[in-house]
Amino acid sequence: MAVLRKPFSLLGIAVLLSWLALLAAALLYAHPGLVGVSLSPPAGLILVLQALFTGIVFLYERKSPERLRGVDFIGLLQRLLLGPALLAVGSVVLHQLLQLLLPGFANGSVLHTIFYTLNVGLFVLLLARTNYAWRALMMFRGSERLQRQWVAFELLLGATLLLRLLPYAPPAALSAAVLGVLAAFGAYLSGRQKWVAYLSRRQKLEAVLLQLAIIGVMGIFVAYFLDTRLGFRLVGPAPQNAFLLLNAFFATFYALMGLLVTLFNLPTAGVFEQKREEILSMQRLTQLIQRGQTTDEVYQMFFDSAIQTTGADAAWLHIEATDEDDQHNLFYQLPANQGSAIRSTLAEFNLGNLEYFNNDLSGGSFGRLQLPFGSLMVMPLSSSKRQYGNIYLLQQPVQAFDRESLSILQTFASQTVLSIENLQLIQASMRTQRVQDELKIASAVQDSLIPKNLPIDNWFEISSYAVAATEVGGDFYDFLHLPGRRLAVLIGDVSGKGVTAAFHVAQMKGIFHALMQENPLARNEREKYPVPSQFMTQANDALGRCLEKSAFITASLYIIDYEHGGFVFARAGHCHTLYYHSIKEEVSYFQTPGLGLGIIRHDGYEKHIKNQFYDYNPGDVMVIYTDGIVEARDAAQDEYGEERLQRMLEESYYLDAEHIKAHILADLHEFTKGQPMHDDQTLLVIKFRSAQPEAGL
Amino acid sequence: MKITQHATDTTLTLALNGELDASSSVLLDTELSKPEILRTQKVLIDCQQLNYISSAGLGVFISHLQTFQDANVKLVFFNMQEKVRNVFEILGLDSLMTIVPSEADAAAV
Repeated sequence: MAVLRKPFSLLGIAVLLSWLALLAAALLYAHPGLVGVSLSPPAGLILVLQALFTGIVFLYERKSPERLRGVDFIGLLQRLLLGPALLAVGSVVLHQLLQLLLPGFANGSVLHTIFYTLNVGLFVLLLARTNYAWRALMMFRGSERLQRQWVAFELLLGATLLLRLLPYAPPAALSAAVLGVLAAFGAYLSGRQKWVAYLSRRQKLEAVLLQLAIIGVMGIFVAYFLDTRLGFRLVGPAPQNAFLLLNAFFATFYALMGLLVTLFNLPTAGVFEQKREEILSMQRLTQLIQRGQTTDEVYQMFFDSAIQTTGADAAWLHIEATDEDDQHNLFYQLPANQGSAIRSTLAEFNLGNLEYFNNDLSGGSFGRLQLPFGSLMVMPLSSSKRQYGNIYLLQQPVQAFDRESLSILQTFASQTVLSIENLQLIQASMRTQRVQDELKIASAVQDSLIPKNLPIDNWFEISSYAVAATEVGGDFYDFLHLPGRRLAVLIGDVSGKGVTAAFHVAQMKGIFHALMQENPLARNEREKYPVPSQFMTQANDALGRCLEKSAFITASLYIIDYEHGGFVFARAGHCHTLYYHSIKEEVSYFQTPGLGLGIIRHDGYEKHIKNQFYDYNPGDVMVIYTDGIVEARDAAQDEYGEERLQRMLEESYYLDAEHIKAHILADLHEFTKGQPMHDDQTLLVIKFRSAQPEAGL
Repeated sequence: MKITQHATDTTLTLALNGELDASSSVLLDTELSKPEILRTQKVLIDCQQLNYISSAGLGVFISHLQTFQDANVKLVFFNMQEKVRNVFEILGLDSLMTIVPSEADAAAV
C-alpha cells in the first residue's frame, strides 16, 4: 500500500536507475576495455536505454503535481529557469571549462563520456520540465478540446520515441514528413497563449526576459550536441532522435510564440491594467458596503477610484450638506476657488447636476477662468430620492475624456450611491435595533418596579391587574407596610408613554419610598409619617424641578389603618375611587377635589389637595384604577366610562377581590374586543374583611 | 384635529375641532407658542367640537398656563362637552383655569 501511495518517488528511482544503466552502457560502448573484459554493447542498446530513460523522465514530469500556482506565471517561468535550466547549463559550461583546462580531458576520456551522459540526462529533464510547464500555461483557462489535443500530441510524440527503436528505418522523406506534421501540430498548440493577458505590464517585461533566457538555454544545448556528436563513439541524441528533436522544437517554439505574444501585448498592457483596476475598484467599493464602513470611506474610495481610472490630473468631489451632515469636499491637486469657479460656470448654463464633459476648456466661458486644464468631466451622484453632489475631474491635455470614461464614471457613481444608501439603511436599522434593545431594558427595569408580592393579611384581600400598552408604560402602583398595622397604597399615571414616562414612574416610586420613611424629629405618633396631602405636596415640589413643562403625574395615595378600620387618602388629579359601602349597600365614587402633580410648580399646591378620611366596614370594596380602564374604547370609539365600571361593581361586590377583578376585566375585554390598546391599564381591587384573630392564635 | 382662529384687537379665539391627542397637540402647541399671543388680553378656546382630550393635550395647556399668567393673558374655555369637562375636573384643572358655559360668558370674563 505504501508503494501505491508514492508513485512519484518510485518513478524518481526509476529515472535514476535508467540513467545509471544508460551511463554504464555508454561507458562500455565508448571504452570497450574499461572493466578489463572486452564487452561492447551494441549501439542499439544505448538507443533503447536512452528511449527508456527519456520515457521515464517524461512520465515522471507528467505525474508531478501541477507546478502553476494560481496565476503566478512569472513564478513558474522563474522556477523553470533557475531550476533545471540553470543546472543543465551549469553542467554544459563545466564540461566546456574542463575541456579547455585539462589536457587529458579530450574527446574520448572516461570523464568526458560521463559528462556527456550527464548532460544528456539533464537536457532530457529540462525538456520534460519545460514541456509540462508549457502544458500548464497552455491549459490555463483552456477548453476540454484543447486537453484532448494535448493528449494526442503527447501520444504522437511518444510514438516517435518507439519508432526510433524499430529495426526498420523509414525512408528519409517519410520521416521528414512525419516530423513536419508533428512540428506543425506543436506550432499550432503554441498559439495557445491566453495567460499572457493576465500579466501586468511589469510582469510582461519579466516574461519576455525569462522566455528569451529559456530560448537561449535551448540554443546552448543544440550547439553543445552539434559540437560533441562529432566526437568519438558517442551516440548523440539530438539529430537521430525525433522525439527529443520535436520536444526541443516545441519547447523553443512555444517560448518564442509566448515571447512574441507578450511583446505585441506590451503596448496594450496599460489598457488591460486599467480594466483590471476598474474591476478591482468596483470590487473594493462593493466590499466596503458589506463591511459596513462609513460614508466618508465610501466617498474617499469613489474619489480615488475615479481619479485612478480616468487618469485625472485634478479632481473635486463635492457633496451637498443635508439636515444631518455638513457638506463634504475632497480635493486633489485643485484649489478650492477653481473648483467653485467651475461649479458656478456650470450652474450658469443650467448644467449644475448633469453628466457633462468638455474637451476644450480654452474657449467660451471656461476660457475666461484661465484654468491650467484642457478637459473637464462632471458626474452627478444622485438617486431617485436625493441629489448627493458632483465629482469634477480635470486633465491638462485637451480631448482627454471620452464617452467611455464617462460611462465608467457613471457606473462608479451609481455603485457609490448604492453603497451610501445601503449604509444609511444599515445604520437606520442598527439605530432601530438599539432603541428596541434599550426599550427591552427599560421594560425589564420597569417590570422589576411592579410589586411582585401583594400584601397579605387576614383583614383585607388585594387583587391587581396591570398591562402596559407599549414596552414601557406610564402607570404605576406600589405598597408599603407602615408600623402599627398600616398599609400605604399608591397608584398613579405619568402623562405620555415610552421611556420618558418610565423614568418618571421610577422617580415617583423613589419619592414614595423616600417620603414614607419615619420622621425621627416627629413630636407625636401622627407626625411620624406624612399624611397623604402632605405627601402629595412634597412630591409635587420634588417633581416640579425635573418634569418637563408639559408633563404631569396623577396619583392617589391611600393609607389604610386596619387596626382601627379606617383609611385616609388624597387624590392628586387621579381617577375617582370607586367604593362599595356595605352598610348602605351602595356603590359610588368618592368625589374629592385634587390637582395633578407637576401642574403648578410654585408654592401653593397644598391649597389644591385634600385629605379624605373614611371608616370602612367589613365587606366594603375599594376599586382603584387608571384612566386606561375608563377610557378604553370599543369599535364605535365609545369610552368604557365610569358608569359601566360602577355597574360592574354593583354586580360583583359580594365576590372576593380576585373574582370582582375578574368580573370587571371580563366585561372590559368584551367591550374592547378587537380594538388596539391605547393606554396602559391598571386595576386594583381591595376588599376589607371583618377583623379576625390571626391564624394559630 | 382642526384649529380655526379668530382674532380681534384684544382677543384671540381658537376653535378646536376633533380629538386633541399626542399628534394634534403639536399643532395647538405651535399656535399657543407664537410670541404675539402674549400681547392679547384673552385667549378663548372654543371646545364645542372638541370630542376628546388626551393627557398630551392637557399638557399643552398646562405648559402655557404659567406663561399666560405671567403675561397677564386670560385663558378661558367655553362650550365644553361634558366628558371633556370631566377630564379637566378629574385632573383638578377647573380650579386653575376658567371654564365657562358659553361664548357670551367667556367674553364677559
